[in-house]
Amino acid sequence: MAIPIESSPPPGWEREGIDGLLGLFPPGRLSEIVGPRSSGGSSLLLALIARITASGGQVAFVDGMDALDPASAAAAGADLSALLWVKCGGRLRVALSAADLLVRCPGFALVVLDLDELGPMPPSAHVRLQRAVEGGDTILIARSARHREGSPASLVLAARRLAPRWMGLRPLTRLAGLRSEISIFRARPHTLSPRGRGQGEGLKGEGLKGEGLKGEGRRWTLDWTL
Amino acid sequence: MTRIACLLTPSDPARPTLLRVALAHSPRVEDAGAGRVYLDASGLEGLFGDEPRLAARLRAAAAAAGVESSVGIAESRIAALAAARLGPGVLVVEPGGDAAYLAPAPLSLLDLPEATATRLSRWGLRTLGELAALPTAGLFERLGGDGVRLQRLARGEDPRPLVSWRPAPLFEESAACEWGLETLEPVVERLRELAARVCARLGAAGLAADCFEWTCRLGDGRVHEGALTPAVPITDADSVGGLLRLALEARPPRGVVQALTFRARPVRVAPAQESLTDRSRPAPRRLTATLNRLVALVGADAIGAPALLDTHRPDAIALAPYPSPLRGEGRVRGGDRRDTRDASPTLALRRLRPPVPASVTLASGRPVAVRSGRLTGRIVAGVGPWRVSGEWWGPRPWLLDEWDVELADGTLCRLAHDGSAWRLEGIYD
Repeated sequence: MAIPIESSPPPGWEREGIDGLLGLFPPGRLSEIVGPRSSGGSSLLLALIARITASGGQVAFVDGMDALDPASAAAAGADLSALLWVKCGGRLRVALSAADLLVRCPGFALVVLDLDELGPMPPSAHVRLQRAVEGGDTILIARSARHREGSPASLVLAARRLAPRWMGLRPLTRLAGLRSEISIFRARPHTLSPRGRGQGEGLKGEGLKGEGLKGEGRRWTLDWTL
Repeated sequence: MTRIACLLTPSDPARPTLLRVALAHSPRVEDAGAGRVYLDASGLEGLFGDEPRLAARLRAAAAAAGVESSVGIAESRIAALAAARLGPGVLVVEPGGDAAYLAPAPLSLLDLPEATATRLSRWGLRTLGELAALPTAGLFERLGGDGVRLQRLARGEDPRPLVSWRPAPLFEESAACEWGLETLEPVVERLRELAARVCARLGAAGLAADCFEWTCRLGDGRVHEGALTPAVPITDADSVGGLLRLALEARPPRGVVQALTFRARPVRVAPAQESLTDRSRPAPRRLTATLNRLVALVGADAIGAPALLDTHRPDAIALAPYPSPLRGEGRVRGGDRRDTRDASPTLALRRLRPPVPASVTLASGRPVAVRSGRLTGRIVAGVGPWRVSGEWWGPRPWLLDEWDVELADGTLCRLAHDGSAWRLEGIYD
């Protein structure tokens, strides 16, 4: 069977690597990245921001703790001029309100709600944001340290720290990076909006299980480089 | 016979004031930049007297406006400029005397390109008179038409007419309220009406506005003023009306409103060609409303596009306006950008702002334990110190010894010592 050219992934696209992982986030749905400190969750967010801004998309970053490091984002390849940074000064309600406003403004390819230690979100906020983002093309991702039971998030990725990587023998000379594991903690079957199929066709049918991905429990081991 | 006056000030920022002074004396004014303003001085004798009086009056008017200036009047712009620059402050070159007056003047009056100035200097030319005396045909052979133009200027022949300058049109509407408006709703409605009229005029002129201001004169003589700055220049009356309502509800006038004035600051916006291959981006109208609501929520200094400053000082960042006019033009510090598909994933640092003071225990000069308001634990591995410093030549030198450490619970963080105290700068995630 012939495969249309426009549906072919670009050269260098790795379905099993970080490209496949970044393609999982469904447009028009709330997703979550959870994990403790130094688990690689923020690095995953920056990789996604870099990927989206490189393709011309606009990204809004609601920063609950004012923790974004623009130098790290630039090093990851993000176009900072396509990034709207909203600093919330550690105020949870302000961060939730800002995210609510942004997901209701069509045109942003990605809205990140980085709560870190402020979170997890109250259940009512979860539902409100999920409703607000439904029907659009925006990917909404909440980043927090812990997952709250009852969250309506369509995709929950759990980040886990494996080991830091150091350069040099004893004594060590510098921190080279971090190895972490990203796993699908939960994936609902309806994680795909009609316009997202080109990017996340692996989620069609019976959710993640239908296209060769193993769905919940599937893991990626990633090496983040400093 | 045309007579031209030149108003010259050493302070270019004062040029708008000179333009207003010139426009008060003559209907034809040219903004020549670099602190120079030319005006048509022909036929003004009946209003201001002879030319020396006119020149003195112009200089006095500029001084009254707070601008130190000199004035020259001649038949050509170049001679008027020479008279203003080289004269005693007020100088009138008699009709027909431009060439003779310009002859001893230096060539630098012509604002020559560097290459031409060097060439004329190699020919041994120093003054306009020497340039004017050269054979025109030979000059054309060597410098082309530009050489002939320069020679005509050196002879005081300036055929180019004045390029008329006009002040920016005022987009302002006012209304008096006969009975006084005591509640907010009628004030909003009247201002929306004024805004609609201003927006219609802007649209008819092919302009947009990047700032809207209003003034409410209150019954007790006080004045309530407000302004709103949309994220992108707009002319849409509905958008302006919505933003106006938000702004007035946040800060209403405290009193009975007797009169209203609404004005816009016009800007010319080049139409952008949409592309079928570009990804969608927020519509300006929706984005403007959203950004204004966000500003009301978090403050104007907490929202924007992050930009890296040209320094190695840690966490040296600024917030640029969003959406950025420099989109995609490599605002990032040189060499930092990568092709995201070829790059290996980058480890992110989560900054602690401000850095958290920490108490660090040392053993053999190396940190072995840290205690702070955010993190506490035993250090199982660490590298450092990485010394970073800069701006030792300026008033705010900085020097830090940075350590990357791993705590017993697996947390990777960055510590820094500034010579007197330790602090926790961020957490790798």
